[in-house]
Amino acid sequence: MALLIQALITGLLMGGVYAAYSSGFSLIFGVMNIVNIFHGELIMIGAFTTYWLYTLYHIDPFLTLPLSIISAGVIGYVIQRFVINRVVEAPPMMSYLCTFGIHLILGNLALLLWSADFRTVTTSYSGIGFSLGPVTIPIARLITFLIAICTTFGVYLFLEKARYGKAIRAASQDKETARLVGIDIKKVYALTFAIGAAITGLAGGLISTHFVIYPQMGLPYTIIAFCVVVLGGMGYIPGALVGGLLLGVIQSLTATYLSSGLSIAITFILLFIILVLKPRGIMGKGIVE
Amino acid sequence: MRKHAVWLAVFFALLLVPAFKLEGYYYRTLSMIFLWIGLASAWNLTSGFTGYIDFGAVAYFGIGNYATALSMTKAGVPFFPAIMISGLLSGMVALFIGRYTMKLRGAYFGIATLAFAEAASQIVLEFDRTFHVTIFEGSHGITLPIAHDETFFYYTFLIVAALIVFIAFLTDRNKFGYALKAIKEAENSAELAGIDTQRCKVSVYAVTGVMIGVLGGINAYWLTYISPLDVFSVTHTIHMIIMALFGGIGTVFGPVIGAVVLSLANETLGARLLYTYLLMLGVILVVVVIFLPGGFIGLLSFRRFRK
Amino acid sequence: MRYWKGVCAIGIIACLVLPGLSYGQAVKFRIGCALPLTGIFGRDGNLVKDAYTFWAETANAKGGITVKGKKYPVELLFFDDKSDKAEAAKLVERLATIEKADLILGGFGSDSVFAASAIAEKYKYPMVSGGASSNKLFERGFKYYFSTLGKATEEVRGCVEIAGVLKPKPRTAAVIGSDILFTSLAAEGFKGYLKKEGIELVYFELFPLSLTDYNSLLYKVKQKNPDVLLVGSHLMVALNTMKALKEVDFTPKLVAFSYGPTVPDFVKSLGKDAEYVVAASEWAPNLPYKDDVFGTAWELNANYNKRFGRNPDYVEAASIGGALVQQWAVERLALAPPLKEADRVKIMEELHRMDSMTVYGRIKFGPDGANLEHPPIAVQVQNGKLTTVFPKEVAEKPVLYPARPWKERK
Repeated sequence: MALLIQALITGLLMGGVYAAYSSGFSLIFGVMNIVNIFHGELIMIGAFTTYWLYTLYHIDPFLTLPLSIISAGVIGYVIQRFVINRVVEAPPMMSYLCTFGIHLILGNLALLLWSADFRTVTTSYSGIGFSLGPVTIPIARLITFLIAICTTFGVYLFLEKARYGKAIRAASQDKETARLVGIDIKKVYALTFAIGAAITGLAGGLISTHFVIYPQMGLPYTIIAFCVVVLGGMGYIPGALVGGLLLGVIQSLTATYLSSGLSIAITFILLFIILVLKPRGIMGKGIVE
Repeated sequence: MRKHAVWLAVFFALLLVPAFKLEGYYYRTLSMIFLWIGLASAWNLTSGFTGYIDFGAVAYFGIGNYATALSMTKAGVPFFPAIMISGLLSGMVALFIGRYTMKLRGAYFGIATLAFAEAASQIVLEFDRTFHVTIFEGSHGITLPIAHDETFFYYTFLIVAALIVFIAFLTDRNKFGYALKAIKEAENSAELAGIDTQRCKVSVYAVTGVMIGVLGGINAYWLTYISPLDVFSVTHTIHMIIMALFGGIGTVFGPVIGAVVLSLANETLGARLLYTYLLMLGVILVVVVIFLPGGFIGLLSFRRFRK
Repeated sequence: MRYWKGVCAIGIIACLVLPGLSYGQAVKFRIGCALPLTGIFGRDGNLVKDAYTFWAETANAKGGITVKGKKYPVELLFFDDKSDKAEAAKLVERLATIEKADLILGGFGSDSVFAASAIAEKYKYPMVSGGASSNKLFERGFKYYFSTLGKATEEVRGCVEIAGVLKPKPRTAAVIGSDILFTSLAAEGFKGYLKKEGIELVYFELFPLSLTDYNSLLYKVKQKNPDVLLVGSHLMVALNTMKALKEVDFTPKLVAFSYGPTVPDFVKSLGKDAEYVVAASEWAPNLPYKDDVFGTAWELNANYNKRFGRNPDYVEAASIGGALVQQWAVERLALAPPLKEADRVKIMEELHRMDSMTVYGRIKFGPDGANLEHPPIAVQVQNGKLTTVFPKEVAEKPVLYPARPWKERK
C-alpha cells in the first residue's frame, strides 16, 4: 500500500515537472500552429542559466530562476521576430524544417561553448525531503510542482483576462478577424512566443537541479512535451497540467508495478491511442484542424 | 523528356562503376547514398505528394531490419526472400497503422506516427524481457551472417533505389499521383470531387512502408549487426525529411538531389569539421527555408518559368 | 538564377574534391581514429581524444617515433563518428583506404568499436582500443582487435569481490543498469560475481537509457533494502542514480558503479553527495606502474592534470597505454612510414607476442585480443578524491563501509 501511495506521489511530482516544461509548447502551437522543434533547447538554455550562475557565482538556482525566464524568453522572442515570423504563414512543413534548423544551431552552439560534459546542480539541500509516514517527498520536486501549477494558472488567467492575453486568443481563433479589429498579428505572435519560451525557460531552470543537463539534452524533452500536450489537448493550457500529471502517474505506476522499460513503451502506445481515439486530448478541449 | 533521359544515363553509368575496381570505401559510400536516395524518395512519396508529414517513417526501417535479421538468423531464410518478407511485413503494418493515423490531420498525424515509431522501438527493446522469450535480443542486438563484398550491396541498393525513384516518377504522372496531389492542395474538395481520399492516403502510405522495409532489410545484412536504438532512431526520419525538403519536397528528383548533396556533405565535411558541421547544417536549413522554400529543385526550375 | 546554380554546382564539386587533397609532405606517422565527439558518448569520446593527443604530444616532444635512429613525428587524424556505429565503420574504412593512414587507434563505445573493428580486421589494421570492453568484441576470432581494458563482465569484478573484505559481510544486493551493450553486460557481470561471493541477489532490472524517472525504480530497490547496490552505468546514469538515491532517501551500505565516478565531472557535479561511492576501475595513480615514456602513474596523473586541468580516468590511461604499445611495436620492428599492409601484419603479430609494463600497467594480449594480466581494482570517493581501496595489495586506504545515511551527513 505504501508503495502505491509513493508511486502516485512520485508520479504527480514528476508530472508537475513535465507540465512545467510543456505548457509553453502548447501555447505556441495553440496560437501559431507551429510545432516548435527547438523547444527542448529553450529548456536547455534555462537549465544552463541557473547552472552557470550557481557554479560560477554560487547563487542559489531558485533565486536565479527569473534570469532563466528572461534568457529563454529573450532568445525566443528574437528568434520568433526575425526568423519564425517569416515562415508562420507558410505551409507547416516549412516551420518544421525551420525550427529543426534552429534546434541544430542552438544545440551545437551550446556544445561548442560548453562542451559535452554532463552537469547537474547540487545544492546543500538537493534531494532533501520530508517523510509523511512511510512516504518520502523530496522538497525540491514539491516546489517545482507548485511552481508548475502557479505558472499554468498564471498563463491561463493572463489569456482570459489581460488585454494582451485576449488579443493572443483572438489571433489564435481567427487571424483575419483579429487583424480587422486592429490587432497586430506579428506583435502578438512575437509576444506569444516570448511567453511560451519564458515559461519553458523557467522549467529549464528548475530542471538543472533535478536532472543531469548537457547541451544536446533538448530532443528527448521535446518529445515528452509532445506527449504531454497531446494528452492534455493542444493549445489548451490547463490541459498541459492535466496531461503532465497523468503522464507522470502512468509512468510511475508502470515503472513500479511492471518495469521502467515498459513505462516508456506505454507512454508512446498511450499517446498513439489517444491521438487515434481522442485527438482533442483527455479533456476534449484541444485544437484540431 | 530530355531532362529525364539524363537520369537514365546516370543510372546506367552507375551500373558500370564497379568495372573500375575502386576501393571498397567508395562502394560503401555510394551504397550509403543510394540507401538515402531510396529512403528520402520513399518518404517523399507519401509525405511530399499528400502533404502528410510523417515523423515515424523509421519504424518501417526498423521493422524491415529486424524482419530480415530474424528471418536469416533464426529461420535460415536466404537474403532475397528475407527482404521480401521485410517489405511485406512493413507494408502490412503500414496498412494497419495508416488506417488510423491517416484520419488525423497536420501535426497530429506527425505526432501519432512519431509515437508509433518510438513505441515500436521500445517494444523491440523490452519484448524479450517482458515475455521471457529470446527473439529480439533487446539491447544485445542481432548479428547477421557475414555478407558479400561491397559490390553486392552497391548493386542491391542501386537497383532498389532506382526502382523507388521510378515508381515515384510514374506516380507523379498517373491518376493516382494526381489524386494524391489533389489531397495535398485541398483535401476536402478532393473528397467532394469523388476521390476516396482515405483509400488513396492509406495505399500510398503502405507502399512507402514496403519500400522503407525493403531498404531496412538490406541495411541489416549490410551492417551485419543491428540493435534497436540504431535502427529505430528518430534521427533517420529526420534525415529523410531534411533530404526531401532540401532537395524539393513533392517533386520526383528533389529527394534524390537532397540525399546526394547532404550525404556527400556529411561524408566530406561532417567527419572533418568535428564540432561545427551540424551547426553549419542548421544554419543552411534555416537559410534554405527562408530564402529557398522550393529547395534545390525549386532553385533549378525557376529558370524554366522565367522563360 | 544562373548565378545561384553555378554557386551550388561549385559547392558540390568542392565537397567531392576535398577528400582527394593531399596533406603536407613531411614524412610522418599518420594515425587515424574514429571517435564519438558528439552524440550520446560525446563526453567520453572527447576524453579518449585528449588521451591520444597527450600520447602524441609526448612522443612529438622527443621528435616523434624513433625508427632506425630517425625520428618521425606523429600526426593524429580524428573523425567524429557521432556515436553511431555505421558512421564508425565507414570512417575506419575511409582511414584505411582513402586517407591511407599508417595506423589506427580504437574509439569508444562497444557498439561503435564492434563495427569499426570488423573493418579494421578486413583491412588488416591493428586496432588497439582503451574504450570498449564488451565480451562480444572478443568472441569473433579476430586477430587485429586488441583491448587494453579487460572484458566488461570481468572489469566489474573488483566491485563485488570487495565485499569479501567488508565487515560485516553484506548479505543482499540489488543490480540495476541501463539497457545498452556495455552496461547490460556489466550488470550480468555483477550478477555472476555476486553468486560467487555468496551474496543474495534481491532485485535486478535493466532500464532504457532514455529513462527520466529514476525515482520509481529506486523506490522499488529501497523496498527490498539490499545491503549493496550495483549499477551498470556510464556517467549520465551514475549521476542520475545518485540524485535519485538521495531523493528517495535510500543509502545502501555500498553503492558501486561500473563506470562514471572515475570521470572528474562526477565528483565535481555532486560535491559531497558523491562520498562513499565505489567504482570499477583498471588504473589509479597510486598503482606501482611505470614506463620510460610517461614515468610513474603519479607522474602521468600530474602531467595530464597540467595539460588538461583534470586527472585522467582509467579509460584515458588505458587509451594511452594502447597507443604506447603500438608505438613500441613499430619501434621494435623498425618500420618507417609510410607503412604497408605487410608492415601492419607484422605489427599485429608483434602485439600478440609482446608483454609490456606501461604506466597503465601490464599489457599482454591474449589470442582473442583481450588484456590478460590486468586486474580490476575498485576505487572509492573519499573526501572528494578517488582513492584506491581494493585489492588490499594496492589499496591506499581501507574502504569506508557502511556509507553514512544521507540524513546523517553534514
